[in-house]
Amino acid sequence: MTTAELEAPQTARAEESTAARIVRFLSRTPVYLLIAFVGLLWLVPTFGLFFTSLIEPASIGTAGWWEIFSTPSIATFENYREIFDNEDITSAIWTTLWVAIGGTILPILVAAFAAYAFAWLEFPGRDWLFLVVVALLVVPIQMALIPIFSLYNDLGLFDSILGLMLFHTAFGLPFAIFLLRNFFIGIPRDLLEAARIDGASEFRIFFRLILPLGLPAIASLAIFQFLWVWNDLLVALTFARDTQPITVAIFTQLRQFSANIELIAPAAFVSLAIPLVVFFAFQRYFVEGLLAGSVK
Amino acid sequence: MSTAEAPAADTARGLPPADGRGRNLWEQYGIPALFLAPALVFLAVWIVYPTISTTIRSFYDRSGDEFIGFDNYETLFSDDTLFTAIRNNFLWVLIVPAFVTAIGLVFAVLIERVRFSTAFKVAVFMPMAISLFAAGVIWRLMYEKDPNQGTLNAGIAVVRDAVKPSAALERALPSTQDLQGSTDSGFVLETPLEPGSGVARLGLTGIRASDVPEDAEQAVVPEALSGGITGVVWRDFSPGGGTPGTVEDQELGLSGITIELRDESGRSVAETTSETNGTFEFPDLDPGTYQAAVSSDTFSAPFAGVSWLGEGLILPAVMIAYIWVWAGFAMVVIAAGLAAIPRDLLEAARTDGASELQVFRRVTIPLLAPVLTVVFITMLIYVLKVFDIVISVAPGGVQDDANVIALAMWRTSFGGVNNHGLGAAIAVFLFLLVIPVLAINIRRFRREV
Amino acid sequence: MRYRWLVFALLVSALAFVAAGCGGDDDGGGGAAGSEDVSGSISIMAIWGGTEQESFEAVIAGFEEAYPNVNASYTSGGDNLAPLLNTAVEGGNPPDIAAVGQPGLMADFAEQGAIKPIDNLREAIVDNFGEDVADVGAVDGTQYGLMFKGANKSTIWYNVASFEEAGVEAPEDWDGLTEVRDTIKAAGITPYSVGVDVGWPMTDLFENIYLRSAGAEMYDQLARHEIPWTHQSVKDALTLMADVVGDGSNLAGGTSGALETEMPESVAKVFSDSPEGAMVIIGDFAPGVTETTLQPVEGFNVFDFPAIEGSEPAVMGGGDIFLKFKDNPAADAFLEYLTTPEAAELWASRGGFSSPNRNLDTGVYPDEITRTTASALAEAEVFRFDMSDLQPSAFGGTPGQGMWKHFTDFVQNPDDIDGTAEKLEADANKAFN
Repeated sequence: MTTAELEAPQTARAEESTAARIVRFLSRTPVYLLIAFVGLLWLVPTFGLFFTSLIEPASIGTAGWWEIFSTPSIATFENYREIFDNEDITSAIWTTLWVAIGGTILPILVAAFAAYAFAWLEFPGRDWLFLVVVALLVVPIQMALIPIFSLYNDLGLFDSILGLMLFHTAFGLPFAIFLLRNFFIGIPRDLLEAARIDGASEFRIFFRLILPLGLPAIASLAIFQFLWVWNDLLVALTFARDTQPITVAIFTQLRQFSANIELIAPAAFVSLAIPLVVFFAFQRYFVEGLLAGSVK
Repeated sequence: MSTAEAPAADTARGLPPADGRGRNLWEQYGIPALFLAPALVFLAVWIVYPTISTTIRSFYDRSGDEFIGFDNYETLFSDDTLFTAIRNNFLWVLIVPAFVTAIGLVFAVLIERVRFSTAFKVAVFMPMAISLFAAGVIWRLMYEKDPNQGTLNAGIAVVRDAVKPSAALERALPSTQDLQGSTDSGFVLETPLEPGSGVARLGLTGIRASDVPEDAEQAVVPEALSGGITGVVWRDFSPGGGTPGTVEDQELGLSGITIELRDESGRSVAETTSETNGTFEFPDLDPGTYQAAVSSDTFSAPFAGVSWLGEGLILPAVMIAYIWVWAGFAMVVIAAGLAAIPRDLLEAARTDGASELQVFRRVTIPLLAPVLTVVFITMLIYVLKVFDIVISVAPGGVQDDANVIALAMWRTSFGGVNNHGLGAAIAVFLFLLVIPVLAINIRRFRREV
Repeated sequence: MRYRWLVFALLVSALAFVAAGCGGDDDGGGGAAGSEDVSGSISIMAIWGGTEQESFEAVIAGFEEAYPNVNASYTSGGDNLAPLLNTAVEGGNPPDIAAVGQPGLMADFAEQGAIKPIDNLREAIVDNFGEDVADVGAVDGTQYGLMFKGANKSTIWYNVASFEEAGVEAPEDWDGLTEVRDTIKAAGITPYSVGVDVGWPMTDLFENIYLRSAGAEMYDQLARHEIPWTHQSVKDALTLMADVVGDGSNLAGGTSGALETEMPESVAKVFSDSPEGAMVIIGDFAPGVTETTLQPVEGFNVFDFPAIEGSEPAVMGGGDIFLKFKDNPAADAFLEYLTTPEAAELWASRGGFSSPNRNLDTGVYPDEITRTTASALAEAEVFRFDMSDLQPSAFGGTPGQGMWKHFTDFVQNPDDIDGTAEKLEADANKAFN
């Protein structure tokens, strides 16, 4: 850029008068309003369920959730009490925690190792192998249910936390490897070369450089994977009988014909609480992580 | 990119060995193998093996004993239900990824210019934190047909009520054969009436006792009016049915009803409104034969609620729910992409005289292309596999119309039919469908490498 | 340095989770023969969740009292029971015992060799439940199942206030029902609340009609596909059915409302302070599928499905059939326990349960209504199992196919009687061959 071009934008900005400022502000307000409106609109369905969870069972079939404001008498915390009274649910929360935490940490570790190999190690066929791994993203879980069921049966993994955890780990790998590898590539080459010149082995580089630098991507991956495992119903339903995660525990609370909204609604929010906490805690990393992993 | 470039890419990124000497076997194969082994084991056992196993299974029949070759695949393409599923997935692919990406783009652009965007981001992203089962439940509630329960229809009802004036009655039925018509066209009493002797009896049923106008009184049959025609319009119902056509005790007249008088050619020549006891009169008429009718203006059909979950709208209904969940994902990714665009490029374009719109179209969008592609292609893959949201939003009766391939596979393999062979074939078909999508993804990816 | 320890710590905790998860499942061993010496454990699966689950667990508790050395555990499969069972059978690890609602599914399992015969219990079953009910659990002469829980599906429920407002009473026969419907409609109340759901409530309606309009013998013939679905008797029944569901103005929410309503919702619409329909044609499990402030008899009530042209009293019903998947003396003991009136009483007294056991004292039922519907079931002279559940599941029990699909379509096209009959016949042919 020449000096002239450099100066042009600056003079342009300096000349912005008060009038222009006002225009800019005014043109922003509609944007603020629009954003507020859309944001609220997006929240309406969730609010609807939340208020529904507060309505007494007998009125649920006949009243809309907004009537809670006109007829406060139909509100009650009874539904939530029902949920917690049931000891199955409380033990289910623990089961879910085990499965979710394990099913998050394990795939991240395994994927990080593989991602580093795909990013910075040389070996023949590396890129082709990577493509194959990413291609596995495509396989739907339903395809694996029966074959794995037999396998688990033979291995004695049926109805175990371990079995669930391993299943989720495997299916979380393609995306995890994809994301982490794309992120690791972005790490400046000179850093790694400098470490190598200092005599570091691959393992050293991995643990002392790659992992720390990769924290944003790892954090965002953790959120995604945690959410996925926590909310899973299908896998749990198939592979668990006595050891039930919370999604299944709620599901089986349903009456015959699955009709109890008065249980589903509060249960959905109880189940939502922890992932939401996780999300809020990590959302800063989340954006950075996605940014780095995708735009590269 | 040709294959020749692939090996070049292979070596371009590797780090040189520590002390400059050539790499030994361990460093070249052993270490990579160590790093890759856990992942490859997991993938091989949990994903590759089932895929192969399922593919083989798709060539066998229901019980798994008899090899039937491609028979299952033939069924796939000839069965109506499966055909609907395939067609629906096609629609999903056509509509949803584009919508999600577009909405994500719009949102990302909007929030780029304002502060405090976190609250908005959280609001839009929150649906992703909710399990798809819960999301399905949420939207099932939203779409409920009854305006007293379904949020959407309640909203529509409010608008409707504000716009349309309310009428005296919502619905009615004729109580006797000689009263013909409907709420749309009005009810005409077939019996001809003449001035001086004609007394019309317009008995209506199908009206709830609670819907009768408040000021109504016991219905009365009026006397004939010389030179005119009189009549009564009343709620012709007594518990147990009563005697239709006769005004009985406890049967209330309907007030405020618009009554028309029609001449021989069917033209309306006079109008009047009924009294609290249901009586009405048309005085001073020219001689001739007339017919009395309850005007259709009297009725305004209640809002029954749009059938979002009905077979016509179920597909868009489920799609909307899905978009609600995934728009946040698109927005966050694209917003990150937007943030990465160097400001000076945009400024340069602006100082060159380009308008905002041109800057957006010519500079921003092309720079955003990689990010947009990621979002779009991810959505394409997921949409081909869509399952949870369909099964939880669509009520049993319309699941056929909302059917998608993954759901068809589930129902075939695990629903009553229990045909694992056919289910496997469906799964393989789904897998094959996604491959071309992936091929595009691969090409884009290689361009970046 | 720090990070290496962090990763190590993570690995260790991951392993700890793994170890915790290796709790694994119990394996029951067989016990010595003889009733009180039976030991081991059994796993049971069925669809019951929520309050029904509690009630069934009371039955299990009673069993464990009688057999203190047996440990029984129950898992609910919810509405996904059939897929879960199928997966488990395919995968080689089914529960010891499971209760299914379709004899057709039982027949499938028998064909696959997945369930074990229980001929030794046949006598006890006949003694307690009668031949008709015992036959429900038999496949080609071999006894496989025990119908412990029954459902009387020849019932019609109604909203008492609506009936009073219209000034009508429960009808005795089909023509009476039509009159009641017309009177209710004239009173400005919607006569029926219909929930098409995935189609099975519609098949129930058809079967109730057919059992009465064509008779029990023809019912059996149709069930075994000895007469085709294009038979005139079928078309006659379809015509009667169209009289009920064909006119949208008779249904709460109209035809489209009926199509998107699921069964529990259709009941809730009647069992309400501001009902949307006066009657709902559904089985005796109705009070159990919805929460309501209405009280039985004063708020809601029931009458028998009316006779058609002088047909004899009959009950069309369903039930849950217990099957044995593994050879296990503890499982045998459990099934034997289920044949006793004591077992039935444990659930019957809690409500929401109709026992086909004739030796059960009907006094234990908690209310008048249940007593009536349950004894109608147990004492029925003519009892027929729900026909759609007797069919191969591809025809009679699969969403989007066969009976369920065509009867759903019939609600939308009530005029197309010939077409519906033909489609049913075509699918039946495929399934039976």
